[in-house]
Amino acid sequence: MAKFINYQNLDFKLNSQNFYASKVSLSINASVDPVLVSDGTLLDYAPQGSLVGSLSADFYLTGSLPSFLDITGINSDKITGLFGGVQIDNLYAKSLSFSVEPFQPTILSVEFDWYGRLSIQNIEEQKVSERQNKQVPQYFANAYRSSMTNTDLDGVESIVNFSYNSSCDRPAFFKVDEIVPFRVAKLNKKAEISLSSNSLGDSIDIDGKMVTTTLTLKDLYNTTLQTFYVSGVMNNQKYEISEGNYLLTSANIYQQVTEVKTLI
Amino acid sequence: MSYLISGLNIKNISEYNSSSLYSKFDIIDYQLNTGVSVMPNYTGFGITGLTTWFNNDSLNNFLTDTSFRVTGWLNNVSGSGNLFTTTSDVNNRGRVDFNESYITLSDSQVLSGSGFNSDSRVLLLAFEVLTPSNITEQTICKFGTGNNYGLLKVNGKDELFSAKFILDSQQFDAISSIYDDKNIVTLIQNSSANTIKIRQNGYELGTYSSFNDYWKSGELTLGLNPNNGGIRYHEIIHFTGSLNTSQIDQYEKYLFEKYFKNEGLYFAKNNVPTGSDYSPITYTGNSYWTRDINDLFFLSYGSSASFSAKLSPLTFGDGYKTNVTNGINTLSSKFNIVYDGLTDLQAKTLITYFENTPQSQNKSDYEGFKGVDLNLFTPYKQDCETYFLNINHSTPYNDINKINIEAESFYESCLNYKGMYVLLDEKNIKTYTDTTFEFAYNDVFYYPSTNFYQRGYYFYTGQAKGVAQGSAGPLSPQNSPTGVSTYFTRDFYFKQDIDYDIQENIRIKSVDFKNSTKEYRKDGEYPNIFEFEVKLTKRSNKETLAILKFLDDKAGFKIFNYTLPQPYNKTIQVYCPEWNHTYQFYDNNSINAKFIQFNSKFSALTVFNSLITFTS
Repeated sequence: MAKFINYQNLDFKLNSQNFYASKVSLSINASVDPVLVSDGTLLDYAPQGSLVGSLSADFYLTGSLPSFLDITGINSDKITGLFGGVQIDNLYAKSLSFSVEPFQPTILSVEFDWYGRLSIQNIEEQKVSERQNKQVPQYFANAYRSSMTNTDLDGVESIVNFSYNSSCDRPAFFKVDEIVPFRVAKLNKKAEISLSSNSLGDSIDIDGKMVTTTLTLKDLYNTTLQTFYVSGVMNNQKYEISEGNYLLTSANIYQQVTEVKTLI
Repeated sequence: MSYLISGLNIKNISEYNSSSLYSKFDIIDYQLNTGVSVMPNYTGFGITGLTTWFNNDSLNNFLTDTSFRVTGWLNNVSGSGNLFTTTSDVNNRGRVDFNESYITLSDSQVLSGSGFNSDSRVLLLAFEVLTPSNITEQTICKFGTGNNYGLLKVNGKDELFSAKFILDSQQFDAISSIYDDKNIVTLIQNSSANTIKIRQNGYELGTYSSFNDYWKSGELTLGLNPNNGGIRYHEIIHFTGSLNTSQIDQYEKYLFEKYFKNEGLYFAKNNVPTGSDYSPITYTGNSYWTRDINDLFFLSYGSSASFSAKLSPLTFGDGYKTNVTNGINTLSSKFNIVYDGLTDLQAKTLITYFENTPQSQNKSDYEGFKGVDLNLFTPYKQDCETYFLNINHSTPYNDINKINIEAESFYESCLNYKGMYVLLDEKNIKTYTDTTFEFAYNDVFYYPSTNFYQRGYYFYTGQAKGVAQGSAGPLSPQNSPTGVSTYFTRDFYFKQDIDYDIQENIRIKSVDFKNSTKEYRKDGEYPNIFEFEVKLTKRSNKETLAILKFLDDKAGFKIFNYTLPQPYNKTIQVYCPEWNHTYQFYDNNSINAKFIQFNSKFSALTVFNSLITFTS
C-alpha cells in the first residue's frame, strides 16, 4: 500500500519563528523552451530563467506580524522557511491577505517566491512526540474584536466585513553563471481593501475618492495583534439588494505604496 | 573640492578623512592628508631650517662619469653637504635614468658625504625599495662613520606585522607596502626629548627613545646593500631643528603629490572603520578600499559581446576575391556589460567609476591612460583590459537600477595560439594528449602536432566517453583528432536554428537607357554569392564555448566549410567577419554570425605558427 505522509497541526517556521498553519502548499516551475534546429530535430530544452518556486501558507495570527512579512515595507531580505523537515533558504514574500468575517478567526494567507534547489524528497512526517508536545496558542486573531476605522471613510457607517491584501512584484537579479538571485527587489507595492457596509456615502468620482483607514486585528481578549494603515483611493463601489435581504454595499480601496528616496 | 570630484556628475563625494566612518560603496578622493602641499624651499610661512634637499629634477643635480654612472648627488641648498662616491670601481657607482625621477643604488653602490650634522632634525625620504631576492635587512640611510652608525633599515616580508622599519635595532611595523612601492618615511629627531619619531606615509609608526649620538653625526650614507636589488631614491629633504605636525604634513604631501600615483578615487568594498591605518594605501586598507571593479560589482545576464573583422576585400571579378586583413589583429571587439538590480548607492558608485575611468594613470610616458581590467563573462577570458565608452542607466522603480556599459578591448591578439578571448585554459579547453580519456560532445581540444597542418583546435562529436561511461582509457589512435576514423571535426558542425532567413542578391550589371528601359547583363561567372546570418539561439554554455572557440580561432577571415540548410544542402566555403553573443541566462546563449561565401580556392589553412615555448 502506498505511503501517504500525514500531517496534523502543521509545523511551519519562517526565520525560526513558529507559525500555526492550516495549509502549506509548494510548487516548482522550470521555464524551458525547446531548441529546434535547422534539420528539424530537437537539440535540447533551454532554461529561460531560474527555477522559481511558489510557496503559500495559511496561518493563524498569534502575535504581531514580523517585519519580514510586511509586504509593503522596505525589508526585502530573504527568509528561511522550514516545513516537514525541509529547509527552504531563499523565500521572498510577495503577498499577504486576510479576511475578517463576523465572529470568525482570522486566517492570514502569505505567498512567497523561492529560488534554488530543494531537497523535497526529504520531506518527512511529523513525529508523534513533536505533535503531542506542541504548545497550542491561546491567543489568535478573531473578528469579534477586530475593526476597521470609518472616520475617514466618508459615508461608510456599519462595516459588515472587510478583507485586506498587500502585494508586490519581486523581480530577481542574477549574477552570471548563477541560478540563485543575489537580490530580489520589491516593485509595485500596493495594498487593497474590500469592505461590505450598509452605506458608502457619495459615489466615487473619476479620480475615485480619497480615504484613509486603519485595520486592527485583535484576539478574543481585545489585545491588539497587528494594525494595517491604508491611505488610498476608493475606486469601486457596488450596491446589491436581493429579496429578503438588506441593501448591502461593497467597495474597494487601493493604495500604491511609495518610498521617498533618501539622498545619498 | 578636488578637480576629480568637481569633474563628476555625482554629488556627495568627499576627500578622504581618516576620522570618518565609511560604508560599503562609499567613494572617496584619496589624498595623503587634506592640507596643502608646500615646496621645501618655500619660506612664506617663515624660516624653515631647510639645510638639505636632494632630488632628481635636473641633470645639474648629478655628477657623472663618462658612463653616466653617478659620482655625486648635489644638494639643492647651496653651502650644504653633498653626496659622493669615492670608489674607482665603476660597478659600485649608482645609475641615474634621466627619464625617471630617481637614482638607484643597488648591491654595493653607495653615496656618502658630510655636512649634515644636527642634534634635532626632520628628515623626509621618498624612496622605493626593490623586492630583494632573499629577504634581508637593507639600509636606507645611516648617520655616522666607521662602525658607529644611526641606521634606518627595512626588513621582512611585504605584509602587515612582518614588514618592518628599523631604527638601529628597534623595529616598527610598517603599515604600507615596503617593497616595489614608493614610500615617504619621516624621521623627527628631537634632541631634548632624546626621541626619534618615525612616520610612514603620514602615519606615525612609533617613537624610538634614547637614540645614540651617532644620529647627530654630519656623515650621511645611502645604499651599500650587497646582494640586494637596490633602493630607488627620489628625494631627501632635511630640516635642522624642529617642525610642527602641520608643516610636516605639508612637506609629506609635497612628496606624495610629486611621486605617488595612488591618489584619486577609491571605492569602499566593506564598511570602513576610522583611523589612518585604514587608508587606501595601507596593508589593512587594501581589504577595505579598491579600484578594481571586479571587487565591487558582478555582471548580470544579458551581457553581450560583438566582434568584427577589419578587412579590405580585393575583388577579382567572377565572384572571386581575397581578404586583406588590416593589420595583425583583425578583430575588434566590444562588450556590452550589464549590471542589473543595483541599489541607488551601488548605481552611484558604478556611474562614478565609469566617469572616473579617464583619470586612470597613463600606462607610460608614451601611452594613454590604462583601461579597466574586467573579468568578462563566460566563456571569455578574465582580466581583460577594456575601455569604457558609454553608459546607459535606467531605473524602473525606486532603488532598482540597471546599467549597461559599452566597453572596447584592444589588447588581445589573434596571434596568440591559445585564443583571443576564448582561451586554451586547460580547464574548459584542454590540450589533447595520448592519455586524455574524458570526452563529451562539443568538447574542444587543442592538438599540438608538430605537423603544421594538423595543429590546432578540434571539436569532439563522438559519444560521451570517460569514467562515468565505464571507460578510463584514452581513445584509440584511429579515433584521435587526426585518426582515420576520428571522433573529432574541424568543420562548422553546429546546427543553426530551425527558423532562418536567407536573402540572396544576384550579381548582375545593368545598362540604364534613360527615359526608356533598362537592360541587365551577366556580370561574369558565379553571380550567386551568399551573405547571410546564422542564428544559434538558446544554446547551452558548452555548445556556446565550442561555437565561440570555433569563431575566435577563425579570427574573422579564415575560410571554412559550411553546409547550407534545406533546401540548399550544399557545402560552400565561407568566412565569418562578424558575430555577436549574448549570455541570456545560465545555459542559454544566443549567437548571431554573419557568413559570407568565399569562392576562391584556398590552398592551405591559415595557421599562425606562434607557439612559444619557454625553456626556463
